[in-house]
Amino acid sequence: MLFAYVNSAKRARPARPQCRDHHRRAHTAALPAWTKLTVFASCVVLFIAPALRAQSQAQDSATASPIPVFTISSGFITTFEGGTPHLGPLISPLLLVPIGQNWLIETRGTIEADLSPPPGGSGFKGVVEKNVDYLQLDYIANRYVTVSAGRYLVPFGIYNERLYPIWIRNLQTDPLILPIGASEYGAGTGAMLRGGFDAAPGLEVNYAAYFSAHSGVSHMESDRSVGGRAGIFLPGPRLEFGGSFQHLLQESRTNAFGLHFEWQPSPIPLDIRAEYARSHDGGGYWIESAYRLSQAPKWRNRLRNVQAVARMQQFFAGLGESDVLPGADTNAFEFGLNYYFRDDIRFVSSYGRQFSAQGNGNIWTLGLTARLALPLGHGGSK
Amino acid sequence: MTAQRWIRSGMLGLAVGILLFAGAAGGNEGSKRSTGTASQAATKQQDEETERVEGEKRFHTNCSRCHQYPHKFPPRMMATIVRHMRVRATITDEDMRLVLRYMTQ
Repeated sequence: MLFAYVNSAKRARPARPQCRDHHRRAHTAALPAWTKLTVFASCVVLFIAPALRAQSQAQDSATASPIPVFTISSGFITTFEGGTPHLGPLISPLLLVPIGQNWLIETRGTIEADLSPPPGGSGFKGVVEKNVDYLQLDYIANRYVTVSAGRYLVPFGIYNERLYPIWIRNLQTDPLILPIGASEYGAGTGAMLRGGFDAAPGLEVNYAAYFSAHSGVSHMESDRSVGGRAGIFLPGPRLEFGGSFQHLLQESRTNAFGLHFEWQPSPIPLDIRAEYARSHDGGGYWIESAYRLSQAPKWRNRLRNVQAVARMQQFFAGLGESDVLPGADTNAFEFGLNYYFRDDIRFVSSYGRQFSAQGNGNIWTLGLTARLALPLGHGGSK
Repeated sequence: MTAQRWIRSGMLGLAVGILLFAGAAGGNEGSKRSTGTASQAATKQQDEETERVEGEKRFHTNCSRCHQYPHKFPPRMMATIVRHMRVRATITDEDMRLVLRYMTQ
């Protein structure tokens, strides 16, 4: 009733508002164009721009469209084996090219040299090795399955796929059992299904299954084999364990299997990793612990960037003969200290000793490792 | 004359009363609207904070499985790197989404 009165009152007096509008229009019309533009721009700046910016930020974090990324891992490692120095410069470029929402092309290569003084000579001589570690096309089919095709790292254990890059590995020497399952080349050529998903609250399952064809292409060799890996990860205690299997489909047609274990207890900056592998050519295990001294009771500011590493391993020679595995039972331990200038630049050092029927020996390593990541495009919000 | 003045005063008082009532009602509506908007904004902020905390937790849980905690990269670059990790380290779809959100905030 009251609102009806107000409305009817408005209708009853139509002339004055029109008159006021007329005055307002006349007043507005009297304003110079640049003043109107300034007022409009101010409105945009004050009201619309923050809204667009907020929307843009939300888009950044949720649906930022990926761009190609190029990274270079590099290092210069000096190794002393039995008193003989070896210089090992290494460069490993990695290129990632995302396509659409579900595709990714990824490739990594390695160029490395092993330079040592020739017997009776001076200076350092050696060969430069080039290799395509992987060149694969990935399709993320759904939350459970990713399909990969091309040349890929063999998913046997965790070292070959995850811990091998020079800027990641805690100790610069390879574990003795690394060639088991991963083969001499560390890579396969063919297709692979893989994925990781939540199987239950606090329980994640990851898996990989592959078929590899024989390849004799230079720098891209691979064996004909089939295999896979399955693991369980418990995010709460940060514990992972699993197993791997491989069946060679050429020559000796032998099997290899392995177990892996990884634990990062939350309260302390400690990593414990271990692998066991067994094949016709031999078997063995390694266990490694790495402790970041960020909780040191004294000099914490200086020691927080220091990481102490220790690895113990044993290898038991098998019935077969292999060019890449030790020819006799071998025990080895290694201790290292790394200093992180940043998360991707560090100084590395280690001392190790091997005990074998073929002879004992010390191995010292000293070097620098770094990784540089570059966006191939505008890395911002669009 | 006096009666007209009384009527005019009464009408004026009634009009002022109506305007005040209408203003108060409108004000209440605006207040309710602003309260609702504020509540929605607070809920959204709380959700974002929850996702940020969860993303940070998953970042620490997953990334340190292989290497030291990386520094943040630009958002579009980070989207590629997280996809790479989805394949390489077989992290889950949910981990990828939350880590990406955390790393691009």
